[in-house]
Order: sequence, then C-alpha cells, then structure tokens
Amino acid sequence: MADATPPPPPPVEVSPPPPPPTNAGSPTDFLKGVVGKRVVVRLTSGVDYRGVLSCLDGYMNIALEQTEEYVNGTVTNRYGDAFIRGNNVLYISAAEPL
Amino acid sequence: MDPSSGIQEPFDLIRLSLSERVFVKLRGDRELTGILHAYDGHMNLILSDVEETIMIVEQVEGAPEGQSTVNIAKRKMNMLFVRGDGVILVSPPSRT
Repeated sequence: MADATPPPPPPVEVSPPPPPPTNAGSPTDFLKGVVGKRVVVRLTSGVDYRGVLSCLDGYMNIALEQTEEYVNGTVTNRYGDAFIRGNNVLYISAAEPL
Repeated sequence: MDPSSGIQEPFDLIRLSLSERVFVKLRGDRELTGILHAYDGHMNLILSDVEETIMIVEQVEGAPEGQSTVNIAKRKMNMLFVRGDGVILVSPPSRT
C-alpha cells in the first residue's frame, strides 16, 4: 500500500485568445457606406440590377434608382425606381469606390 | 439623405405608388401591371385592372445553345390578390 500520489495533470494548453471583435468593416458598415452609391444587386436567379441604392431595410428589401436589369450581361429592362424584395437578393456589390 | 427623393425605407417607394399603375415582376417568369390598391409588410398586393404576362421559354430540340423560342401569354383580371412571397420586384413604370 504505497501512498502513490497520482501524477500531476499535464499542463493545460493555453490557446491564444480570439482577436477582439472589430466594428469597423462589419457588413452593416458596408451597407451604410453604399447607400447613395452605384451598386450591383444580384438575385439568386442570376439576374443583376445596376442602379443607385436609395435605401434598404432589415429584410434586405432594396430601393434602387436609375435601375438597369441585366440578364446574361445584356440590358433587358430599365426602371426609374425599383423595389426589390429582400428574399431574392444574393449579394450587393459596390460599383464605384466607397 | 438623398435630397432627390424623400425615401427613408424601401416600403416608402411602394407607399408612394398607391393608386398608381405599377409593374410587378413575379417568380415563374410572370409580370403584372395594375393599379396598386393595398400592400402589407409581406408585399402581399391588391391590384385592379391587371394584365398578366407569362413568358414561356421553349428550348428547341437539337438546336444550338441559346436557340429558344419565347411564347408570351397574356390575360386580364379585374381584381387580384398577389401573395407576397412570389414578388421579385415592384416598380412604378410612369417615371422610367
């Protein structure tokens, strides 16, 4: 009956802390930055809308001005104003320097 | 804010189109024009004096890529409820 002390636990690997969260460059900041700018909105169907982003909301519903609709790279329609329902949006791309 | 238009949120565009003839692009290659009477947050719409345009693309068998015929069907309806989830785009066509 030896008073066998259990071996000390191996040292715990300390992983480096995750980088601190930054607010600069968040998706919301991007969207705020492109309001009033020329953008390309691509829908999940592959159709592109190029125009000036008037505004957008939390559903990603979008109001565009001077809108051109592109299907397969050719203009198929023009709208003075257009409301795009947010569920159809794949991405919003800035079409001019921010 | 953009001084050219008093639009704070996208739905303002729809609100300003009430009682106007609007163009609506729907899923399934369908388009509508009609007088907008009412809408809600789902983009459910009530339209009157509606013309629906249905584009039916038919790929020709054995034809080269991109060779397809588009048949267009049209029909008219006096009063129409549009379920919001079918809506892709709404535009007041008058200012194009």
